[in-house]
Amino acid sequence: MPMLKNARLQKSIFLFIVVAPAFAAYVLFTLYPNALSIYYSFLEWDGIGAKTFVGWDNYIRLFHDPFILRALGHNLILLVTVIPITLIISLVLADLLINRAFAENSFYKVLYFFPNVLSLVVIALVWSFIYDGTFGLLNGILRALGLGGEHNWLGSKGTALLSMIPLYVWCYAGFYVVIFMNAMRGIPKSLYESATLDGITHMQRFSKITLPLLSGVIRVGVIFLMLSVIKGFEYMFIMTQGGPGGATDVISLYMFNFAFGSLNLGQHIYGYASTIGMMIFVLLVGLKLILDKFFAKDSIEY
Amino acid sequence: MRMRTGISSWLWRMVLFLWALTILLPLFWIFYQSLKTNQAFFADIWAFPEHLEWSNYEKAWTSLGIGRSAVNTLYYVGLSLLISLFVSTVNAYAFTRIEWRLRSLLWSVIMLSLFLPGINILVSQYTLMRALNLTDSLNGLVLLASLPVGAFELLLLGSFMRTLPKELDESAFIDGATLFQVFRKIILPLSMPGIVTIGIFKFVGLYNDFLGPFILISDPAKYPISVNMYNANAMMEYKADWVTLLAGLVITIIPTVIVYVLFQRRIIEGATMGGVKG
Repeated sequence: MPMLKNARLQKSIFLFIVVAPAFAAYVLFTLYPNALSIYYSFLEWDGIGAKTFVGWDNYIRLFHDPFILRALGHNLILLVTVIPITLIISLVLADLLINRAFAENSFYKVLYFFPNVLSLVVIALVWSFIYDGTFGLLNGILRALGLGGEHNWLGSKGTALLSMIPLYVWCYAGFYVVIFMNAMRGIPKSLYESATLDGITHMQRFSKITLPLLSGVIRVGVIFLMLSVIKGFEYMFIMTQGGPGGATDVISLYMFNFAFGSLNLGQHIYGYASTIGMMIFVLLVGLKLILDKFFAKDSIEY
Repeated sequence: MRMRTGISSWLWRMVLFLWALTILLPLFWIFYQSLKTNQAFFADIWAFPEHLEWSNYEKAWTSLGIGRSAVNTLYYVGLSLLISLFVSTVNAYAFTRIEWRLRSLLWSVIMLSLFLPGINILVSQYTLMRALNLTDSLNGLVLLASLPVGAFELLLLGSFMRTLPKELDESAFIDGATLFQVFRKIILPLSMPGIVTIGIFKFVGLYNDFLGPFILISDPAKYPISVNMYNANAMMEYKADWVTLLAGLVITIIPTVIVYVLFQRRIIEGATMGGVKG
């Protein structure tokens, strides 16, 4: 059957043209760098000169580096604040949008999501203008309310890191509002109706019915937020460069600065940067596995 | 009783309004500051501009380099979008509607990338691109952003194509159509809704991408708009021409607003459907 043979030939050609280059590019640009970064983590290398194999030296340095712990501490502060605040705010907003019939709700649903499509650089610059010490929006509001308004939010050690928390919450909340709204819509109306007959208040309805039924979605939210907060360093990089005095130096930024930063007098330290990258890799994958175990996977049945 | 619910209802309404204000106020504030002179901006950050300084926008477009970087962005985003949509679509077709030997193996290898955080390969990806002579080149950026097949796109488009009935291809083959014809005349048009969704996502991602271009491009003449704005902001330490920077910021936001207004329902639906883009 020449037809069949022809069809098989067509298939082979199609697959070869379509799958082969894209898959090869995926292996080269995504998988191979992952392997390469393991190799780099055992090197002393400035990116230009000779590569020197130094065994576990970089890993030993990692454990004696006080700035690693400091950076991880900053990550921890962000994690324990940003995750609960984001989830609570978006749960409340989602509940209000779903269960209260205000005329403006449909507009809010669209507006709240908007920060998610804004570019990272735009968000960083907008918030730099909010926090600026002399002509910032926040100080302007505080002055108008008679509450001071002379503080340099990003320039002071005490407030620089804390100032990043509202930014993160502002960025992420809209996404979870939509996620939670979709999940809330999936809850059968009959559950609410029987509860309303029993004279339950809005508040009780939220805490006794809605919240437990959303535990599965909330778990996923915790994991996503955790990954985003640990990986994200661009806001600090753009807004504070990790300063003042390392007050906003988070772990990914610390790694990035070794490789591409201008803080080391233009010197690039690819080996150690890759070692820190390996640590972040292990940390992220490890945390994800632990969280998967820690939170009961069995979602509640209606 | 009635009174009480009335008051609490207004309180909750205020909560929703305040959150909306946190988004609208900074954006609106930046817009009207961008129409002031620097002196007026420094004098009072609340006062509305007495005279609208549209010349700030001209200055941002030329002396801040927004115009040049907008052209670079158009090239980088446009070309990447075209190539990556082509790659995603044909691969989704190959992986979901054609039977071949290594299919499930390659599929799982691609899905592996969903578990890789990516943050650890910034250095190695850069040295690889440098070794291939692809740094400081917009084509290099395009290649990196579009040719490697993406797990996220494959999952989304694949699940879309699986819903199309198998008989469509089979009857066309019996009528003597070639594989290429079936793909172009049948599968492609029917998959359009899915392709558009992916396209919008890709656009937002490419337009907003900062780290990739920042690492790979060092020649200011080749900066896309995001890196250009970063650089303009860093230079303000010496220039202190804030209103021009604000005008540049507004220009940068405009394409995002347009795309969002046009496609907001698709974007919101797609984001939560995919969800997993971590």
